[in-house]
Formats: sequence, structure tokens, C-alpha cells
Amino acid sequence: MGKIHVVTDSGSDLSMEVRQRLAINVVPLTVQFGSDIYKDGEEISVSEFYAKLKAESEMPSTCQPSPADFVAMYEAIAQPGDTIISVHLSSKMSGTYQSAVLASTMLDSDIQVKVVDSKSASMGLGLVAATAAQGVQAGKDLDEILADVQQAVDQLQVYFVVDTLEYLKKNGRIGLASALVGTMLNIKPILTLVDGEVAPFEKIRGKAKALKRVRELVNQFKEKFPDKSVRAALSHAVSPDEAAQIQEALAKILPVDGEVLMGEIGPTIGVHTGPGVVALFLYAV
Amino acid sequence: MDVINGVTLKNMLLVAARNLEQQKDTVNALNVFPVPDGDTGTNMSLTLNAAVKELDRASDAEIGSLTKFLARGSLMGARGNSGVILSQFFRGFADGLAEVKAEATGEDLARAFVSASQTTYRAVMKPVEGTMLTVARVASEAAEEAAEEGKDAAGVIRAALLGAQQALADTPNLLPVLKEAGVVDAGGQGLLCIFEGFWAGLTTAPEELEVLLAEQLEVSTKPVEAVQIQGEVLVNKYCTEFIILGEGIDTEKVRTELESQGDSVIVVGDEHVTKVHIHTAYPGQILQYCGELGNLTEIAIDNMMLQNQEFASHKENHRLDYSANVDNVVGFPQAAVQSNEATEVGVVAVVAGEGLAEIFRSLGVDYVVTGGQTMNPSTEDLVTAVNSVNAKSVIILPNNKNVIFAAQQVKELVEKEVGVVPTRSAPQGISAMMYFVQDDPLEDNVAAMESSLSEVKTGEITYAVRSTVAGDLQIEERDIIGLAEGKIAVVGSNPNDVACDLLDSMVDEDSTVISVYYGEDQEAEQAELLGEALNEKYPDCEVEVYAGGQPLYYYIVSVE
Repeated sequence: MGKIHVVTDSGSDLSMEVRQRLAINVVPLTVQFGSDIYKDGEEISVSEFYAKLKAESEMPSTCQPSPADFVAMYEAIAQPGDTIISVHLSSKMSGTYQSAVLASTMLDSDIQVKVVDSKSASMGLGLVAATAAQGVQAGKDLDEILADVQQAVDQLQVYFVVDTLEYLKKNGRIGLASALVGTMLNIKPILTLVDGEVAPFEKIRGKAKALKRVRELVNQFKEKFPDKSVRAALSHAVSPDEAAQIQEALAKILPVDGEVLMGEIGPTIGVHTGPGVVALFLYAV
Repeated sequence: MDVINGVTLKNMLLVAARNLEQQKDTVNALNVFPVPDGDTGTNMSLTLNAAVKELDRASDAEIGSLTKFLARGSLMGARGNSGVILSQFFRGFADGLAEVKAEATGEDLARAFVSASQTTYRAVMKPVEGTMLTVARVASEAAEEAAEEGKDAAGVIRAALLGAQQALADTPNLLPVLKEAGVVDAGGQGLLCIFEGFWAGLTTAPEELEVLLAEQLEVSTKPVEAVQIQGEVLVNKYCTEFIILGEGIDTEKVRTELESQGDSVIVVGDEHVTKVHIHTAYPGQILQYCGELGNLTEIAIDNMMLQNQEFASHKENHRLDYSANVDNVVGFPQAAVQSNEATEVGVVAVVAGEGLAEIFRSLGVDYVVTGGQTMNPSTEDLVTAVNSVNAKSVIILPNNKNVIFAAQQVKELVEKEVGVVPTRSAPQGISAMMYFVQDDPLEDNVAAMESSLSEVKTGEITYAVRSTVAGDLQIEERDIIGLAEGKIAVVGSNPNDVACDLLDSMVDEDSTVISVYYGEDQEAEQAELLGEALNEKYPDCEVEVYAGGQPLYYYIVSVE
């Protein structure tokens, strides 16, 4: 019986530390400013990216990894007889999942690839990938791990606050939240993901109030599942203090040994959301 | 005069309307607060004028039929709280006279006044004494007593008038806020004007009446308001109005038939005289159908598209801008395309000021009815708005305490399900819109929006129209005053200073956003200065300044 490997993409915003600790392999998407193309995390860092985003007038774009990129990764990490769980960005937002599915059919050797649509992004995807990796480290068998992964995909709740809807709109990722565009007031919407697509959750005036509301949502979540354990992750785009506010609320509801996976939103997601984003991902097990 | 006939009753009503019209400014001035939006007199007068206008459609021969038209006219023309209560007064009055044919006795009139009083009390949820309700009740009691003593029609009306006078003088003793402000109740004063008019109409010699009422033709009728037609292309562009004179007209059937041929359908009247109002693409078909039911008269057809040309061109630009944005949204066109299908819930908001109107539209309001502080929209204006919205159910945001009542009346007058979120200010309306979800059921939306009302505090900065004392504050005419949640809290000489002082009393440690909406009479530069001062003073709050464009109020501010 071969080994089980976990692969995800750079849309997961997993930190280097977590990737190494949980042995998660990351295939980068590329981000393009004008004619300059960079591999996320390899050729451009998070801080370089936001500095560039601020400086450049032109909106950057992202490009999914090619099937060949995935084939290269799969063949590099796995031996014949091994299995790969490849977890990716919501197929409604990116073609990355499709690329991985294609790659899985292109392998010559006897490597089994289970491609999973996380229906999420950023640390939501990160959390799904971590669930798989933690299952591998705990010595669970493939079916158990896939069941855990499916549970994470199905149960994951996402709430995120953006400074502006501009980036989501310009990059065509605004989904059902398009109705919020064009409001004249300084509205900080709390957004969510519904079936892998951006959707409005609540409209709130002012960021402080929006963050306060997210903290309330954390408490409401625990009230809803008083007997269950909560798994959670947070990510932010150049907003560590604001993320810390949410982390504080999370700390109160998590089990003692529970970990909040923290991630910085990198170029792959940052292109579509801009700076100032705080995102919460949680589900009950 | 032992009994009165239809002609006399009509004269009484016409003189009452004229008297109220003449006295309306006096009534307006009786506002408890010295703010420049006192409009009780205007609202009552417009309501009564709309009511007596309907009398032309009725025959003088039968009192029961005459008053039925009076009641309908006042119901549709009702504006503001006082106007709505007045319409209920006439509704009760008509009920009391429903069975009366050619002549009404003193007993009949007493019964009508009692019925009128009872209907007004039933119309308000928490009747307050010392208001026009008391005036109506005391007048009816006096009328009843007179009738029991065997007084004739004239005696009963005289008794009602004296009762009303006495009751009005007593209102400050019943309602402390009136005493403090040194005024009698405005609505009560308006009602007294009507009783005075009744008496004058009854006692004036016929030749004098003729002169008097001829003058009345000069009375200004409701000014034409800018009806802003929202939504998709204006298909039903012909506003078509006429009256059917016939036998056995089935108004229900007419309404059902017309409903399929246009919108904003109003069919009122009885089997002999029916008034029809419809917005349709094919006025000819409507006339042909109704022409088969009887004789058509007072036919008026207007092309609303041409009337609204200016607004329409503005709207067209707006839409082009919007679609340009949509084209940028690659990948999700389906989410951005506007559909012609009726949405689950639409919203009608009453707003004064073009800036605030734009803000409400940008938040998803389908139809903005202009009005509020200076001009309360009539129930009919709101009915038209609700009917124009392409949605299965409609929420109304009155955004003014004096419009809430009229909005609630709409529920009974339209077929769509209507919910009223009792917003008392524009900031409350904006706060409510934060919770609006177009696809959720009406009751869920109303509940969520109502729960938001406590999240925002509203302040208003205006000027005093007369000297008065409010609590510890001595206020001189033209002083700048600041109202927190509708109560005078600050007096000063400069709008910016008053705004700062007022906000001091409103901001606390939980506050996160301060919004300033400046009015049409305030310079943007001043508003910016205020915004900077507030930014400095409250570093923990986000301060936002917008052009509200509202009349009379230098600033409307909110804290949440």
C-alpha cells in the first residue's frame, strides 16, 4: 500500500510553516502585472505584491497552473502505487480545479489522484488541505480522509470583509454580490461563499462595525453547535490587527488544543480582493 | 333650519374646505416644535380639497351617496398623520349618513358626528387626548346632546361647533407638550376650522355663498410633483383617467379587467358613477371597453413619457453607466443582468432631497417618492408608487413620523402585499436598507429592517420659526436648533457649532460611524469643515459627509 500525498494550490494562502509541518505541496498560480508574470510565492512575495498593487495603475490578473504543471508536481512527489489528494480553489472562481482534473488523466505511471473542489478559497481551501494532511499524519486510511475532507467542504462557513468591492468586480469574481456595487455610501459588506461563489451576507456601514459583527458571528456559531468542536482558520490582507480581533473571539470558543490556522492573503487571492480583507472560515465537527 | 338637503351639505363642505385653506398657515404655525416643517394645516387642507373635489362627481339629491364620494376622496387624498385621521373622520361621517336620502335631520347629523369621532379613535393605535381626536369627540357629544334635546339640524351643528371650540381651548390642559410650547393642538385647530366652515356654509345667505364659493376656484390645488418613474422601460406610458356614468357598473369586474391592461389601476365609485385611473400602453382599448359600460366623461389622457422626458434622459444615462460596469464583470454576466421578472420584494421610500434620493436608489430602493419634511405625500401618491414597482410585495419606508400613518393606509388600497417599516428619519431608512434582501420574503425583510432601527441615532439641525421655551432652553426666532431623535437638545447661532454640540450628546464609546448629510441651503465647504472637525474630535469613528440636498435642514446627522 502506497503513501498518501496532499497537493493544493497557491490560492490556499497556507504559510510556509504550515506547509512544511503538515507536508502539503503547493502548485503556484501565476500573477501578471502588464507583461510581467510571476509565480505566486516563488517569484513574488506577499509584501512585494501589495506594494506593486498599490503602485501600478493597471489591474493585475491571475492565471491557473497548466495541466503540465500539475503532472510535474504529481510525478515529482509520488511513486507508483501512491495516492494524491489534490484540493483546489472553487471551480466557480478558477480553472485550477479543471487543470488538476485534466492532469490526473495524463499520468503514465500508476498514481491515483483524487481531485477535490474545495468550493472555497484562501484559508478555507487551506483548511480543507490541512484536514487531508492531518488525516495522513494521523494514519487514517484514504476513505476516512476523503470523508473528513468532504465534511470540511460541505460544512465550511465563510465570512469576509473587504475594503472595497472594486477588485472583485473588475476581476469578475463578484458573483451574487454584484447588487452591492454602486452604493454611494461607505458600505463594508460582509461577504460569504455560497456553493463556491461570492455572495452578499450583510451590508454594514463602517469597517469597525463590520468586524464587530464578524466577532458576533463567531459567538453565534458556537451557540448553534454547543456540543461540537470548532475548526477554524483566518486570513487577512495587510490587516494583522484586524485579524487579531477575530482571533481573540475565536480563542474563546475553540477547544483548548484547537489551532486557528492563520494565513496572509497572497497574490492569487489578493488580485481579486485587494488589501484590507479579513476572512473567517469555520465549521463544526 | 330643521333639516338639511344635499345642496346645503355640499355648501357646508365647500365652505369648510375654503375656511381651512385660508387658515392653514395659522394651523401650520401651531407646531409643538418651532421647526419649519409644520404642515398640519397644509396636510388637512389638501386632504379636504381632494375630498370635496370628488363631490362634483356625486349627485346632490342623495346625501348618502354624496358623503360616500366625500369619504373616498379624502381617503385617496390623505396626506400626513392629520390628513389620514381627517379622512377617517369623513369615513365615519359618511357611514353615519349612509342610509340618509334627500334630507338629514339633527338626529342624523349627530349620529354622523358620533360615528366620525369613533372612526378617528379606532384609526390610531394609541389615542391621545388633547388632540384632534378630543375635538372630534367633544363636538360629537355636544351634537348628540343637542339632538336628544330635540334640536334641529342647525341646532346640532351649532352645538358641535361650540363643543369643538371648547375642546380645542382645553387641549393644552390635556397635553403638557402643548402647554409648554404655548399652543393649542394643530389638528384640533384644523378640525375646528371645518366645523366653523359647516356653520358658515349653513348660515350664509345663498347669494353671498355664490360669491364666496366663486372665489374658492382660485384655491391652489395640489402642485404637480415630479413623479419619477423607476424600473424598466415605461411601457404603460399613457396615464388615462375618466368617469363612467352608467347603470349597474360592477367596479370589481372593471378593476379586474383593467388590471390586465396596465398598472396603477384605481377604480372607485359605485354602480352609477365610477372613476377610473390607469397607466396603459393602449388607452383606446380601455376607453372602448369602458365605453360599453356607460357614458364616459372627463376623459384625460397624458403621455407620462414626454412629461418625464428630463428625468428619463437622466435615467438613460444612468443605465448606460451601469451596463458599462457590467461589461467589465467577465465570467458572471448572469448575476449582473437586470431582469424584467417581478422581484419578490420591492421598496418605496419617501425622501426629501436629491442627494438622499440618489443614496436610497443606490441602496436598491425601486421608487423614491419626493417629500417628507415639507410636503407629505398623499396616500394616493404612495399607492401609485407601490403599484409602479415591479415586485410581488412592497416595503414602504416613510422616513418621517408624519408619513408612517399614510403609508399604513396603503395596505388596504392595493392588491400587493405591503409592509411598512416605521422609519422616522432618512438615517433610519438607510439603516433599514442595510438589511434588505430582495429575494427574501416580505415578513423576513420587515422584521430584519425593523430590528435595525435601534442601531442608529438621528440628529437634525434647522432653525427656529418662532421663540419658545423647550425644557431649560430659551429659543429665539431664527436661532439654530439641534434635535436629537426629534427632541430639541441644542440651541446656537451657527449650524456647524450646533452640529458639533448635538453630536457630543449622541456619540458614545460604542459609536463607529458618524454620517453627515448636508442640506440644499448649506455649502459643501462648510460641511467639509464640519467633517474635518468631527474626524479630529472622534478618532475612533469613521466620519462620512454626503450631499443630502434636503430642504430646511442644514444637516441631518446620524451615529451608529
